[in-house]
Amino acid sequence: MTRYLALRVGQAVLVLWAAFTAGFVLLQLLPGDSILIKFQNPELGLSPDQIAEIRRLYGSDAPAIVRYVHTLLGFLHGDFGYSIDTGTPVLDRLAEGLPATAKLATLGFLVAVLIAVTIAFVSSYSRFAWIRGALLALPSLFVSVPTFWLGIVLIQVFSFQLKLVPVIGGTGFEQLILPVLTLAVPISAPLAQVLARSLDQVQAQPFVAVVAAKGASQRWILWRHVARNALLPTLTIAGVTFGELIAGSVVTETVFGRNGIGRLTEQAVAVQDTPVMLAIVVLSATVFVLVNLVVDLLYPVLDPRLAAKVGVTA
Amino acid sequence: MPRTRLRSTLRAGVAALATIGLLAACSANAASDAGDAGQPVYGGTLTYLEHQPPSCLYLPAAGFYPNGGVLNQLTDKLTWQDPKTLKIEPWIAKSWEINADATEYTFHLRDGVTFSDGSPLDAETVAANFDVYGLGNKELKLPVAEFVNNYARSEVIDKSTVKFHFNKPSPGFLQGTSVIGAGLVSKKTISLPYEEQCQLKNVVGSGPFTVANQVVDKEIDLVARKDYSWAPPSFAHQGRAYLDKIKIIVTPEDNVRVGALTSGQADYVRYVQAYDEATVKAAGYRIYAEPTRGVNNGLYLRPANSILQDVNVRKALQAGTDAKEVVETLFTDSYPVATSVLSKLAAGYVDLSAQLGYDPAKANSLLDQAGWVRGADGIREKGGRKLQLSVFVSGPQPLSKQTLELVAQQWTKIGVKLDVRQADSGTQAAALKDAEKTPLVHSMVGRADQDVIKSQFHTRNRDVLLSNDAQLDRLLEEQSALVDANARNAKVAEIQRYVVDQGYAIPLFEEPQVYGAAPYVHGVSFEAVARPSFYDVWLSKKDK
Repeated sequence: MTRYLALRVGQAVLVLWAAFTAGFVLLQLLPGDSILIKFQNPELGLSPDQIAEIRRLYGSDAPAIVRYVHTLLGFLHGDFGYSIDTGTPVLDRLAEGLPATAKLATLGFLVAVLIAVTIAFVSSYSRFAWIRGALLALPSLFVSVPTFWLGIVLIQVFSFQLKLVPVIGGTGFEQLILPVLTLAVPISAPLAQVLARSLDQVQAQPFVAVVAAKGASQRWILWRHVARNALLPTLTIAGVTFGELIAGSVVTETVFGRNGIGRLTEQAVAVQDTPVMLAIVVLSATVFVLVNLVVDLLYPVLDPRLAAKVGVTA
Repeated sequence: MPRTRLRSTLRAGVAALATIGLLAACSANAASDAGDAGQPVYGGTLTYLEHQPPSCLYLPAAGFYPNGGVLNQLTDKLTWQDPKTLKIEPWIAKSWEINADATEYTFHLRDGVTFSDGSPLDAETVAANFDVYGLGNKELKLPVAEFVNNYARSEVIDKSTVKFHFNKPSPGFLQGTSVIGAGLVSKKTISLPYEEQCQLKNVVGSGPFTVANQVVDKEIDLVARKDYSWAPPSFAHQGRAYLDKIKIIVTPEDNVRVGALTSGQADYVRYVQAYDEATVKAAGYRIYAEPTRGVNNGLYLRPANSILQDVNVRKALQAGTDAKEVVETLFTDSYPVATSVLSKLAAGYVDLSAQLGYDPAKANSLLDQAGWVRGADGIREKGGRKLQLSVFVSGPQPLSKQTLELVAQQWTKIGVKLDVRQADSGTQAAALKDAEKTPLVHSMVGRADQDVIKSQFHTRNRDVLLSNDAQLDRLLEEQSALVDANARNAKVAEIQRYVVDQGYAIPLFEEPQVYGAAPYVHGVSFEAVARPSFYDVWLSKKDK
């Protein structure tokens, strides 16, 4: 187990370093830079010489390799540099946005799971083919709905027309309802699809017939045998949907005017705030790596057969 | 990239809504002042929705409209410019003297004015403010302000008298002391480096409101200063502001802002798109289309570009652009068709509509004369080169993409191809100073002083033309140094004629700032270039 963990952590560090490096190189390749965007603002009326002077003050005229090493060392010490747009430490900006996004993403994910499980189980155990067909068509619909459009429609209907939930003002909870729903719907789609399919596959397995022949109730079979086995592929997909959560939060936070990492990303991209963008790349990579590590460690818990492979002895 | 996807979705949505909105938007007219509901009442919270989060709040660099809702409430200025008469009136300066050639300004300050941190607003602080605005500060990375020209130094005469010296005549300075960028901040604030001055928490002013709370990128809560008693003397309303509190909430989505207003979740919103004006009015809400009194929204053609260096080509593009069609197709009556380089309400405006009429026949003959002949695809060519230009969609201009696309359609009729390019700000910034990559720009600038024309065109200011025209610079400098207002206006008129004659500008419309407010919001007022002031705002019963 220790060896397995060490290996996985080693892999994670490698992934993070690669993400950092790729991010750094790609951001260097972009045309223009944040200093140019910010200080070429016609209102300031600065001459190219003055802008060059500012660039020198910010240390952005050093060779790329020097800046790479400098930035990498900074990241290792937890120093992400300063946002060129606002002049605040990047760490502060992340700290301002992270709690809001974490809340939104976590709730969005949980609601997505709820929707997915409901769709999958009801469709698998429905006695009517038309209900099953209708439910199984939902994921394809959900995945095709643009988050942006869904958000606007939810706001128009539930907030502006029915006046059930305010978008402006309102309590923290009220402010979360529509954004969470907006984020959850597209994410629930792949989960529901995979779960429904695995449920069907597992039910066709010979051991289910054996258990049934032994006289187990349908509920017992479902919870003790089928669900447990069907969860594995779903868990893998759940790990992957994390990327969707980040992409979705960019749109959701903008439509609903929420602060968070998504909005920060949008703004950083708009003004090419390189230090902020690099930190977001590394942050996303870190969470991605962590989520997948957790998923991998959960496999043996759900399926003891996998425990042997990773060296866990009961 | 998620952002790209978001943007294209947004754009598709906007286009769809635009079509619907236009059908109904033909009868728009600006609502007048809302001071019609009896005695003002104190108290209440105003919910104001802003389109974008504030950017850097270092005052000289803070002209960005989203900052206006915040900064105008936090800071006071030496002088107040009446938005109707454009006259400069006393505010923090109770009087002033200017010497004959406008190289010395002496201001006598009002007593007893304090900043929200308790420190006094005295001559020394005012001097420290303008030393930075006039000269910048290299060490603190603070750039010079656009509205101060030829500044030499300040001189503190006594506790409430300050004198400013200029190297050359600077007649625009008095008006300069009334603009948003000239907001006075505490001595502590003005001594901070650029990054620090950019942040809201460090902006300490003497205005009628102070910051109570901020959620970065989302919300700013302002509360009234109970001890405020130094409004401009010409105001009927003195003492503290009527409102107790203002919640400024950033709501980037256009239709969420409008929907929140008409469904009663917000009271006052900035940036109502042209296609939403009819919706707002139909719901019984008010539209305030406020003029920005400066250089009109238009296309600015750069003479350094290898195609546009020929004045005939520039004049042809000018004649081949139908500004009236642009306004009638995309906008409302809130957007008057341009009749000169400057807005009708700008100081020194001269009516050039006769020279700016749509005349495709003239455009075609000018291009024929210039040697550009139509190719097989209808696009003109000369020496194997196509008459093809490109322009970037300009984020701050309303419906810039749609405007440019319509102009591109108009230009195909005279055999010119215009590529409308949507690019990120990095690409735009990198190409901005290159007349080949950016042959023309879509822009405007608002300021209620003759100097606005210099801001837009002088090579040491915004230099929108990347001008290589020494005569234009000379005219602008002459204008800027004329002390007599009539002579100055005459010079501004001469510059407008020159810019139009040279084909440097294709004015489209007089760009307003469009706000929407609920009928129970009274005392809505604006500074001369359309940023809101909440000092006079009060709320009557919400029930209509």
